Amino acid sequence: MSDSSVPRPPSPARRTAARAAQAGFSLVWLVPILALVVTLGLAWNAFAGRGELIEIEFSDATGIVPGETTLRFREVTVGKVESVSFTADLRNVVVSVRVEPEVAPYIDSDAEFWIVRPIVSAQGISRLDTVLSGVFIEGFWDATPDQPKTHFVGLAQPTLARLSGEGTWYVLSSPGAKGLAEGAPITFRGLEVGRMQNLRLSETDESVLADMFIEAPHDQRLTSASVFWDTSGFSVSLGAKGLSLNVASLSQLVQGGVAFSTMAAGGVPVDAGHLFRLQPDEESARTSLFGSAEEDIRLSMLVDNNLNGLTTESDVMYEGLAVGRVTELGVDIDEARPEGEEVRQRITFVVAPSRLGLAPGASQQEAMKFLEDRVAKGLRARVASSGFLGISKVVDLVEQPLVPPDAIDLAAKPYPIMPSVPPEVSDLGASAEGLFNRLGSLNLEELLQSATNMMDAITQVAASPDTQAIPKTLRTTLEDTQAAVADVKAMTQELRDANAAANLARALDEAAQAAEAVRLAAADVPGMVEQIDAAAAKVEEFGFAEISAEAEGILTDLRAMLGSEDAEKLPRNLSDTLEAASGLLNDLRDGNAAGSLNEALGSARVAADEVAKAAQTLPELAERFQRLAARAEVVVAAYGGDSAFNQQARAMMNELSRAATAFGSLARTIERNPRAFILGR
Amino acid sequence: MSDVPDMTATPANPAIDAAVEPDGHDAPVLTAHRAGLLGCRSCGRVWSADTHQCARCGAHLVPPDRRSLQAVWAWLLAGMIFYVPANIMPIMTTSSLGGLGGGGDSTILGGVLQLVHHGDWWIALVILVASIMVPIGKFIAIIWLALVAGKPATVEEAHSRLHIYEVVEFIGRWSMIDVFVVAILSALVQLGFVVSIKPGPAAASFALSVAFTMLSALSFDPRLIWRGLPLRRRKDVNE
Repeated sequence: MSDSSVPRPPSPARRTAARAAQAGFSLVWLVPILALVVTLGLAWNAFAGRGELIEIEFSDATGIVPGETTLRFREVTVGKVESVSFTADLRNVVVSVRVEPEVAPYIDSDAEFWIVRPIVSAQGISRLDTVLSGVFIEGFWDATPDQPKTHFVGLAQPTLARLSGEGTWYVLSSPGAKGLAEGAPITFRGLEVGRMQNLRLSETDESVLADMFIEAPHDQRLTSASVFWDTSGFSVSLGAKGLSLNVASLSQLVQGGVAFSTMAAGGVPVDAGHLFRLQPDEESARTSLFGSAEEDIRLSMLVDNNLNGLTTESDVMYEGLAVGRVTELGVDIDEARPEGEEVRQRITFVVAPSRLGLAPGASQQEAMKFLEDRVAKGLRARVASSGFLGISKVVDLVEQPLVPPDAIDLAAKPYPIMPSVPPEVSDLGASAEGLFNRLGSLNLEELLQSATNMMDAITQVAASPDTQAIPKTLRTTLEDTQAAVADVKAMTQELRDANAAANLARALDEAAQAAEAVRLAAADVPGMVEQIDAAAAKVEEFGFAEISAEAEGILTDLRAMLGSEDAEKLPRNLSDTLEAASGLLNDLRDGNAAGSLNEALGSARVAADEVAKAAQTLPELAERFQRLAARAEVVVAAYGGDSAFNQQARAMMNELSRAATAFGSLARTIERNPRAFILGR
Repeated sequence: MSDVPDMTATPANPAIDAAVEPDGHDAPVLTAHRAGLLGCRSCGRVWSADTHQCARCGAHLVPPDRRSLQAVWAWLLAGMIFYVPANIMPIMTTSSLGGLGGGGDSTILGGVLQLVHHGDWWIALVILVASIMVPIGKFIAIIWLALVAGKPATVEEAHSRLHIYEVVEFIGRWSMIDVFVVAILSALVQLGFVVSIKPGPAAASFALSVAFTMLSALSFDPRLIWRGLPLRRRKDVNE
């Protein structure tokens, strides 16, 4: 230890530190400075990173909680609500949102904001998560930074464009809101390609307008020839083409929706905001001509006839092609017109120039010029019948060469008036009406009553014991006949044995003579046929009433005949006859064979005669029926076309006449020859 | 920081025995400094003033000096600086049901107010005391101690200053209770989707603030309390 020595010099570092301490500075001061720097840095970071403050106006702030409600962009939180206040007039709520600085530059004039809440609607239930998490504000803006904006007006509902971004807005016009709904889908061949929103009443006419957003690239499918139709609900229509039931998908049944298609070629691409017209159904869309409503020509015509059957959707036909549609039916009163014509009916219709054969894109003026030219050459408008039995009517533009010259009254208000000619109510309609009238005057009930009575009488006859006894007698007769034939055979054997050829030859000669007689009788047939023709012609002349009366008379006679005592006796007579026949056969069998042979052959000849006669009667009857039927057919065919009703009516008439004739001939045959009833001749 | 000029102070001084303790309040106070002695701050052994290293514990012997208060001020300032974000920023972020069920950030004072709203007065009081009153009290106490250290005072005043210093040093570790609460909750309440608690930036600030305050209290040399005592009565006795 060297206590007395000079203390060892301190290290330079310590000396420096000591001097620093003496100078009032210590290294420990670096700590608070560092702390200050760190804290200020944090503060600055927080301040700089807190983003822009924007204000959004909403009509109400349902569910918005300052400090909790977030602003989201594509479901990513990009901001938070800081405060909620009111506008100066207390009408709206101003929500102040602190937006993250990364997205703040993009929030410019094209930004849109809306509050996302749970929605339960026909389109389904959506945003159910916001029930738990609370509502949030959703924003949408494009990717191009622009002049920043800090005050916005929030939308009441989300815009449709946000989903895909790319697409085009169009306008849909409809006479009513049927099928239109906020957010209702727009389908193309069954696929959803867009939605509609912002339903509103048109300020210029009576239609309902809706904005449609068609997503890219489907918006390229729309041309001026595209047509839209309502696919909501279901429709049942009974039209010119029969009954049609149209049901879209179940979802569209509930929520509505429209579909479109480009059915005609030659459309030109359309710009955003183009106005499309909604057709009530696909059928009308297909027949529709209104690819672009803006080019349609509106015309009126004045008529003073019954317009029953003409509706506001009726077609306007030109050369058999639908070129337009009736849009309005009204009454036009003009005192300036001559007496009795002050009040006329005004039919307003639209005509699509593209359907008139003009080039696509032809202007209204060109189309009007075309129509004027045609009118100068005799084109006239008239009301014509169409469709099933001509009940519905159309406006027909027809070339009438023999009309006094006229022109379209371009000065008329509200629309130019097209000259018209009296309507052509179709002949078919009139004849159908006449047919119905005649059918109505037929005494069908009485005829049926007579038939029923006759059937009753026949049943009565058939049920009588005498009639029932016939089969037994008949069987007996047949057995006798068999026996007789056996005898004849034996007799023939005998004859052969007795060399009776000479007798036979003579008998054959006689048979030939009988045949000749038959031929002669047949020669009379044409005369008879002529007579029947004449009768048929008479029938034709007299028409149905006479036929009916005749048939009725025949039936009455028949009924009287059947009801008479003679008819009741008829079965008895028949059995008597049969007994006689069997007696004859017995005689044949029992009698002297050789002697009786000639007699038998004579009888056979007589029988053959009768057969021939009867044979004549059969084709004659058939022919008569045929002719009558042919006449009736001609008559009925004169009443109309080949419609099912006419065919049925004709068939019915055929049956009626056939039945009547059959009854008549039956009655006569039985009257003349009761035996034929049994023998079938 | 050592005091180089003191190294040349008188090696031999009056009796060490007499310098150890004054006898009661009325007795003249003899401090170690006056007695030419130097106490070791690490183990309490007293050495002569020219000793530079404690032979018992090896600690560096530093005579009390008001300039060492610079460290106190520096640490204190750092602690106070960090106390600001500790109160402004959220100390705890809770979220329940994946953020759907609410939750959010809460600052210390905000948490206290929430507890008061819920009626939990007792817990609110505990947190208020531990997180706000104690740290602020510590700041005030240390500032006052640093200001008055070395200034003339009576023996009574010196005793009360010593008590305050002891209280501050004792209570310093308990200020960490808030940080502990956050740390334990963050570790325990991690139920994923249902409930989760995360520490906020204020927790770190608060911990730093408490740590710096403790360092500040530690930097304070309690021997300075006695340094500025008026020693007239003792002088009277000696002379």
